[in-house]
Amino acid sequence: MIPATFSRRLFLKSSALTGAALAAPLIVPSRLFGQAAPSNLITVGIVGTGNIADVHFNTLLGYPDQVRILAVSDVDQDRRSRAAAMVNASYGNSDCAAYNDFRELTRRKDIDAVFICTPDHWHALIAIDAMRHGQDVYVEKPLTLTIQEGRALADAARRYNRVAQHGTQHRSMKRFHDLAQFVRNGGLGKLERIDVAIPPNNRFCGATWSPEPVPAALDWDMWLGPSQWRPYTSIGAHYNFRFIADNAYGQVTNWGAHYLDIGQWALDMDGSGPVEVEGHGDFPTSGLFTTATRVDFTCRYANGVPMHCRTSYIGGGTVRFVGERGWLDISRNQMKASDTQLLRDMQKPGGPVELELSTNHHENFFNCIRSRARPIADVEIGHRTTTVCNLGQIAMTLGRKLRWDPAAEAFIGDDMANLLRGRPFRGPWTLL
Amino acid sequence: MNAPPLPPRIGIPPAPFDPWDKISGLDFGEDRTQAWTIRQDILHTPPEGRPALEERLLGALAKSAPTTAGRAFICEMLSLIGGTKSVPALGALLNEPASADVARQTLERIPGPEADQVLRDALGTLSGPALAGLIGTLALRGDQQVAASLPRLRDDKAQPAAVREAAKNAIQHLKRQAR
Repeated sequence: MIPATFSRRLFLKSSALTGAALAAPLIVPSRLFGQAAPSNLITVGIVGTGNIADVHFNTLLGYPDQVRILAVSDVDQDRRSRAAAMVNASYGNSDCAAYNDFRELTRRKDIDAVFICTPDHWHALIAIDAMRHGQDVYVEKPLTLTIQEGRALADAARRYNRVAQHGTQHRSMKRFHDLAQFVRNGGLGKLERIDVAIPPNNRFCGATWSPEPVPAALDWDMWLGPSQWRPYTSIGAHYNFRFIADNAYGQVTNWGAHYLDIGQWALDMDGSGPVEVEGHGDFPTSGLFTTATRVDFTCRYANGVPMHCRTSYIGGGTVRFVGERGWLDISRNQMKASDTQLLRDMQKPGGPVELELSTNHHENFFNCIRSRARPIADVEIGHRTTTVCNLGQIAMTLGRKLRWDPAAEAFIGDDMANLLRGRPFRGPWTLL
Repeated sequence: MNAPPLPPRIGIPPAPFDPWDKISGLDFGEDRTQAWTIRQDILHTPPEGRPALEERLLGALAKSAPTTAGRAFICEMLSLIGGTKSVPALGALLNEPASADVARQTLERIPGPEADQVLRDALGTLSGPALAGLIGTLALRGDQQVAASLPRLRDDKAQPAAVREAAKNAIQHLKRQAR
């Protein structure tokens, strides 16, 4: 594993090794140097092999000289077997281990980093366990399900001195970087508001459902993990976790994590957050799915700028910055402006604020594993963005204006809202 | 011309009911509209109105043989508004294997020495995943009084790995808190 502390001398040695290894045909895994030795080859485990993991498999298997996937873990035997077979086929061997229980993977001393691609209710526990056992983590968005879990995860990263990257890859797309920097440098003039649009839910279910036999290949108790027990139904497993509030907060945390994150970045709020939130959502009053079908909330920052987040039934996610000079609208695929001059101005160099530029989220993570620097979407940044998502969820749940203290990470004068920052875990799982 | 005959009635609609009468009999997969109504009531009632709601929840919990889903729902609601008055009923559930874990989760969020004591007492009675969860709860509540009993659980090879690990992590957590 990569050591927790990493001196400049070791880093230079690592860089030299990287160069040598790139020139040589033989790949030397880090474990041959011993645990304390840096190496160019980063060994990886992937926990959760469903939908979102496909993106990581495709990317990681494309870096065979830099990254080696040693193991996968999934509570669905069919999925983990398929994932391991894909890895093995790519490497031309049969080395990739496949575990039902992630703890077998997080306790392997030859694995440097773990990608966490499970449903949201598992993120915090797996990440903390991996870091406790000396592994760096890449945690898919949202960082955690609740604010309490996010704080525990961020604290654990510092306590164990681990690199923890949040899977908000917009932070490694130049367009988003340029826009955040432009806004921070006053390119739009005085910022008036931020409008985040998120897509509606893409799955629905009926008002009632029936328990079904658990498929033989699925460890349902482990799938549920720390969340409340419920009987298995096919509509309540795998991708559909996203629409069940025990497991996720719907599009608020799915797309909100991406676009609210850019708002936080442009507002220079990476270590803080809003001071007020209010909202009203439409929640299904029956059926298994419990997340909002229509989202509408507003966070207000100490400088007076509001950030609205609403369901949009046209197009996908976007974030629009509105200022004195007009507006800029950005999404993953395009950028629009009220005046094309704004787009030209955005490309001009200069301005006192120069934000770190990363153009590849995975590479940024791997570079930080080697250098021990903090990644572009460091865990604290991820926690603060996930907190904004949670603030929206809680405000919509309670339907009243709430005051938020971002330093104390507590609501002011609302004990019910404060309880909704976290949740108790089903045994044996604990947030320690 | 005569009007066409009315279609025959195919059944008498069920009589309206008070949602509170139904929550102890909730079942997984059924219509949860009544539970949603009660949840909304609990989330939106100001603090001064919560003792009356707590009383109603405890009444529902005391009904004979609540379903698993009904008990879990009532406990979840008690975890939001429950106080000292809920501790004896939850303490009784804590001693039943079928309800121990959900009772422990509810008590985790109820402040006060009464809840502390009931949780502490359960250290000697629970086992397996419920015991591991209890150890976590005691540590998260910052109960330094249990710190002395945790090394024994951590080192007891007869305990499941989850219990030993929970004890180990709880010891570290309480040490950090004590600093």
